[in-house]
Amino acid sequence: MTTLDRVEPPDTAAISSPVRARRKRLSGKERWERKWGLFFISPWIIGFLAFTLLPVLATLVFAFTDYNPVRPDDMSFVGLKNWNTLLHDAKVWKSLRVTVTYALLAVPASFIFGLFLASLVNSYFLVGQNIFRTLYYSTSMIPVVAAGVIWGGVANTQTGWLNLGLEAIGIKGPDWLNDPTWIYPLLVLIGLWGVGNLMLTLLAGMQGVPNDVYEAAVIDGANGWQRFWRITIPMITPVIFYNLTLMLIGAFKYFDLAYVLKNGTGQPQDATLFYALNFYKNSFEYNLMGYGSALAWVQFVIVLILTLVLFGTARHWVYYAGERRS
Amino acid sequence: MNKKFWLLVALLVIASLVVACGGEPAAQDGANQAEDVAEEPAAEEPVAEEPAAEEPVAEEPEPSADGVREIRWFIGLGAGSNPEEVEREEAFVELFNEAYGDKYRLVMDVVTNETAYDVLKTQFASGDVPDIVGPVGVRGMYSFEGAWLDLAPYIESQEYDLSDFNPALIEFYNLGTQGQIGLPFAVYPSALWYNKDLFDEAGLDYPPHEWGAPYADGDEWTFDKLRELAMYLTVDANGNDATMPEFDPDNIVQFGYHPMWTDIRGAWTFFSPASFVGEDGAAAMPDAWREAASWHYEGMWTDYFIPNSSYVNSDFLAQGNTFGSGNVAMNPNHTWYTCCFEGANWDVAAIPSHNGQITAKLHADTFVIPAAVKDPDLAFEVLSLMLGEFADELVDVYGAFPARISLQEEAVARMQEAYPDADLQVFVDALNYPDNPNHESGMPNFLKATDVYTSFASLYETDPNLDLDAELDKMVIELDKVFKEVEP
Repeated sequence: MTTLDRVEPPDTAAISSPVRARRKRLSGKERWERKWGLFFISPWIIGFLAFTLLPVLATLVFAFTDYNPVRPDDMSFVGLKNWNTLLHDAKVWKSLRVTVTYALLAVPASFIFGLFLASLVNSYFLVGQNIFRTLYYSTSMIPVVAAGVIWGGVANTQTGWLNLGLEAIGIKGPDWLNDPTWIYPLLVLIGLWGVGNLMLTLLAGMQGVPNDVYEAAVIDGANGWQRFWRITIPMITPVIFYNLTLMLIGAFKYFDLAYVLKNGTGQPQDATLFYALNFYKNSFEYNLMGYGSALAWVQFVIVLILTLVLFGTARHWVYYAGERRS
Repeated sequence: MNKKFWLLVALLVIASLVVACGGEPAAQDGANQAEDVAEEPAAEEPVAEEPAAEEPVAEEPEPSADGVREIRWFIGLGAGSNPEEVEREEAFVELFNEAYGDKYRLVMDVVTNETAYDVLKTQFASGDVPDIVGPVGVRGMYSFEGAWLDLAPYIESQEYDLSDFNPALIEFYNLGTQGQIGLPFAVYPSALWYNKDLFDEAGLDYPPHEWGAPYADGDEWTFDKLRELAMYLTVDANGNDATMPEFDPDNIVQFGYHPMWTDIRGAWTFFSPASFVGEDGAAAMPDAWREAASWHYEGMWTDYFIPNSSYVNSDFLAQGNTFGSGNVAMNPNHTWYTCCFEGANWDVAAIPSHNGQITAKLHADTFVIPAAVKDPDLAFEVLSLMLGEFADELVDVYGAFPARISLQEEAVARMQEAYPDADLQVFVDALNYPDNPNHESGMPNFLKATDVYTSFASLYETDPNLDLDAELDKMVIELDKVFKEVEP
C-alpha cells in the first residue's frame, strides 16, 4: 500500500493549490523525518527563543518600567512615562535628524560609488580585473574600529593627510572632526571604504545580465551609456533593491564609527549623536534600560515602516524578468 | 518511536538549561579569570596536581565544608586588570589567604577595564553580586550610583579606626544620601610636571619646587606668570615663540602648557576648588571657574600656548599624551602619570596660585561593597583587613600613594628609588593643597551632567569664535535641567 502511494502520479490539484498541498496528510516516514528534523534544529530554536525572542519581548515589557540593571529590585511599572519622555526628549529628535541627515548623504553616495566601482571592475577593457576587484573589496575587510582610529589621524587638521593633501593644492582644509557640518562628509567618506560588499553584489548582478541583450542593443545602435542606463540598471534592479534595503536599515543602525571617532560623546555639538548612539548612552551608560527599551522599539518601528515603504515601491521599479512577485 | 523522540527532546532541553543556567559560569571564576588575563598557559597549572584544600572550586557554596567563607573581589572598574597588575594581585591574594585562609578565601574576579562596567552591571542585574569591588575611582563609583553599601554602620559596629586618614579624604567618600560608600585607599596628588630640556633650550629658569615660593625672577608664581613662561615656550615651525608678532598659530610645533587627560572640572579646579552644584542644589558657575574658563580659552585661541583639540589629537602631540610627546613644556598632573611616558627629562614643580590660593587637585581610589552583597558584615570584615593590616601590600600592588598617613613616608622613599632625579617631595607637599570640593565630586544625575559639561568642553576646545560667557550660561541652564531630572 505504501509503495503504491509513493508511485502515484503527482496530485496536480495539490500543486496548483499550495494551501491544499500543505494540508496533505503526511506519511509515517514523512512524520518521522519531520520530527527528527525538528529535533536536530531544536538547539537553534531553543537558542532563538531564549536569546533572541525572549529578550526582544522582555524589552517590550521593560519599555513600560523604570528598569535599571544596577538596581534591578527597584524596578516598577511606570505606564507610558518612557514613551512620553521620548516624545519630549530633544536628544531623541536631534538624534533622528542626525541619522536622517547621514542616511540622505551616505546611502546615495555609497550606492553611486559602489555602482561605479562595480561597472569599472566589470569592464571588458579593464586589465587585471581580479586584482582591482580584490583591491577594492579589501578595504571592507578592515574592522570598523581600526578604520575609525586610522581616519581619526588622516582627518586631523594639523597633521592629517587629508588636509595636507588639500594644502598642497592650495586649499585650506576644514576641521573634519570638529566641525558639525564637515563631520558628515567625513563619515560618508569613511563609509566608502566599506562598499566592497555592495560592489560585489552589484557586480554579480551585472554578470547575470545575458550578453544577447547587449548584442541586440548594439545592433540596434545603442551606445555605451544607453546600454548601461536602459539594460544594465533595469536588469540589476533586484540587486539594487536588496542593497538599498540593507543600506537603509544600516543607516538607522549606524553606531560604531561615530562611537570610535568621537569616543561616543556625540560631538561635535551632537552632530554624531546618531539614534543608535543615543539609545546606547541611555541604556548602557545612564542605565535607563526601561527608557532605552522604548527607544529601541521606536527605532524598530521606524525601520519597519521605511522598509515597508521601500517594498511598496518595489513593484514600480524592480524588474524580475518573467517572475511574478506577490 | 514517539516515546524515544520526546525523551530525546526532553533530554536536550534539560541539557540546554543546565548549560545555560547551571552554577557559576567559568567567566565568573575569579581564579580562572585572573589566569586568563595573565595569559598563563593552562598546561602549566594542572588542576589535578593541586591539592584540593589549596585550590577549591569557585562554584562551591559558601561557607564551604571547612567553614571557610569565600569572598569574591571584582577587579577592573579602575586599575588592576593589566597582566602585570594581575600577577601582583595574585601574589597579594595568596598572601592574604595564607594569613586568613582558615576563615576567608579571597577569590579574584578580574575583568578588563573596557568590559568591566558591562560585566558588573550584568552581575548586578542577575543578583550575582561580588563581595568587594575595587580599586575604583570616582567615575566608577557614580556609574553605579545607589548600588553601594553605606559602610557607616559597619565602621561603627566593627570599631574601624579612621584616625590614620586625612578627615577630608574620609568625607570625600561620604555621598550624602548614599552614605559613606568607601574608605580611603590610595591618593594621587598632583604637581606641575615640566620638561627640563625645553626650559633649558628657551633659557628659562625652572618653575619653583617650593609651594607658595616666587619664580626665579622674584615674581609671584601665579597662573599669569605661568602664561608668560608658556608663551615663550610655545614655538612655531619657523622658530618664533608666541610672544612674537610673526608667530604662526597654524604651524605650532611646541606648546607651553596643557592640562592633559582631565576634563574641564579638573583643568579649572587649579584656579580654585569649586563645583557646578550650587549651595541650593541648583547648577551654578563659580566665579573662579569662569575666570579659569576664560584663561584657558584665551590660552588656546588668542595666546596659543595651550593646544586646541586638533593639536591635542595630532601625531606630534602623541594623540593626547601631549607631555609624553616631548613637545609640551608644562603639564599639571598626578603621581600616576609616571605610568605613561619615557625618555623626557622631567621634574615636578609647585602649582601656581590664583588670587592668592594654591590648589593641587587630588585623585583617589577606593574599594566598595555592593549594597546587595549577601553578607555585608563579612565583606566589611575582609575589606577592613585589606585596607588595614594589608594596606601596605595592597598599595604596592598598584604602585599607588597610600591614603594612610603612616605609610606615606616609606612610599615616597620607594618612588624616589625609581625616579632619583625627580623632586618627589613636591608631591608630598601637594597633599596640603587638595581641592575640596574635589573636581570629581558628585553631581545629581552624574553621568548625564558629565555629558553636558563634556559637550561644552568639546565646543570650547574646537570653536575659536565663541561668546564664552553666553556659552557658559547655556551650559549651566542645561546642567540645571539635568539635575532636576532626578529631583525626588
